[in-house]
Amino acid sequence: MIVTISNRSGATYEVDPRRSLLDSLRDQGADLPFGCKYGGCITCAAKLTAGKVDQRRQVALNNRQINDGYVILCVARPVTDITLEIGVESHTTLYRNPFRDPLKPHELKADIATPKEV
Amino acid sequence: MECCGPGYATPAEAIKAPREKLLYTIAIYTGTGIQKPDYLATVDVDPDSPTYSQVIHRLEMPGIGDELHHMGWNACSSCFDDGSMSRKYLILPGVRSNNLHIVDTAIDPRAPRLHKVVEGAEIKSKTNLSGPHTVHCLGSEIIISMLGDAKGEAPGGYLHLNKDFEIQGRWENSMGDIKFGYDFWYQPRHNVMVSSEWAAPNTFMPGFDLEEVGHLKYGRELHFWDFEKKVPIETMYLGEDGLLPLEVKFHHDPDSTHGFCGAALSSNVIHWWKDDAGKWQWEKIIDVENEPHPDWPIPVPGVMSAILISMDDKYLYLNNWLHGDMRQYDISDPHNPVLTGQVWMGGLLGKAPEINGVKMAGGPQMFQLSLDGKRLYVTTSLFSTWDNQFYPEIREQGGVMVMMDCDPVNGGMTMNPDFIVDFGKEPNGPSRCHEARYPGGDCTSDIWL
Repeated sequence: MIVTISNRSGATYEVDPRRSLLDSLRDQGADLPFGCKYGGCITCAAKLTAGKVDQRRQVALNNRQINDGYVILCVARPVTDITLEIGVESHTTLYRNPFRDPLKPHELKADIATPKEV
Repeated sequence: MECCGPGYATPAEAIKAPREKLLYTIAIYTGTGIQKPDYLATVDVDPDSPTYSQVIHRLEMPGIGDELHHMGWNACSSCFDDGSMSRKYLILPGVRSNNLHIVDTAIDPRAPRLHKVVEGAEIKSKTNLSGPHTVHCLGSEIIISMLGDAKGEAPGGYLHLNKDFEIQGRWENSMGDIKFGYDFWYQPRHNVMVSSEWAAPNTFMPGFDLEEVGHLKYGRELHFWDFEKKVPIETMYLGEDGLLPLEVKFHHDPDSTHGFCGAALSSNVIHWWKDDAGKWQWEKIIDVENEPHPDWPIPVPGVMSAILISMDDKYLYLNNWLHGDMRQYDISDPHNPVLTGQVWMGGLLGKAPEINGVKMAGGPQMFQLSLDGKRLYVTTSLFSTWDNQFYPEIREQGGVMVMMDCDPVNGGMTMNPDFIVDFGKEPNGPSRCHEARYPGGDCTSDIWL
């Protein structure tokens, strides 16, 4: 699988789909923030702009963040070739003031979200 | 009484200690986009020194991404009678990495050095705990509240270290029905410990979703423990008055049963005490109203993330991190606090956007009072992800430390015009300062047996 980092001059990395993206990219010299390393703390969040990942183990993101393309690199594995934006410059919509911009019930984290009304 | 251990014989002796000349605060790069380790900053607080109000030393942690937060001493006045102990080591937990950094402050107090790291992986494998928060010493032993299990789920428990910082296992014999952990304080003469509730690390670490409060993912209870048996025996359900009960403090007077908790989201102070019948009681004594914001659908709470009791037990200090004010209350009658001081700095209400020439990002957050009660040092960053939600400009501007002059006799406080430490100007880029401690012990560390 090939990972392209669009905000690092389009740098590409060949990665093993059985390993976490964080481990694969850091082993090849990518400088990435990280914290808990079990998918719970959001420090390593990046934005997926093309392709698919499996990040079922993450528990940090709410559904709005997932819909905005965020992935938790310490537990996410690539399912296809992917393109990422990394680092805090990709975090433009990751953080939200909840008093200014509340979540709708379907935008909560998966364990408490209710299905979107149509 | 002259003795040979650390600290002071009584709170009254502590008040008479020499004025602090150095102060330690942690500063973080975690969550800022700067790929550098968090560090312990030494700040010169001696007004006669040429480097007054400056960072004079930085001790970097060995790794990146710890998120240093609170810290604690290896020994305090609870070891006053123990000549084999000294207040030498500061323990700096990393909330995200779970590493405990043991820092030697005695060899050169101006330039502390790393003594030892207790690895987060070892803590997880031996105790199934993560998310270290409050550090207290118990005589020569150390306990640390851990907010989650190894996978970041609540309620976590308490890590027990011996005086050589070796993992002894879990401190508590049972967590009972406790749903969450956070802060704790104990009063040994009454065989009681009180603990409070934030949330599971997996809930609070990614940031604050207000909606999760209604889904009971954040705490609203206080727990009273049989301290010797190490089991919780009574729970106080605070309900809407006590959403996110964070910091808990007993009076410093070891005979007192009065204590206080700041409920961050409700922005209330809860007071507890043991009544004449020997039963624990609680009441709400301070209620900070939410403030409407012209453009936002939900009124803004104060977010009272910390409280502090002066060493003479006369004043309670609290912050409203989102509103932007620090307050001082006279709690001589703990049932009837009287507001005696209020100072604005930063905040979302725009009342004091600049202090001493420095543009503020964030609001008053952690604070430490001098032992004599005259100087309150205040910092602006809460927690990297929460900072990023409420004060995104802190990423470019960094945190700030200011000092307020307090009148311990008549009450009142004012912003000191000569002191400001701008962590936006740090050599590696803007960092964020949080909790502060003095080498000689402070108003949030020492407990008397």
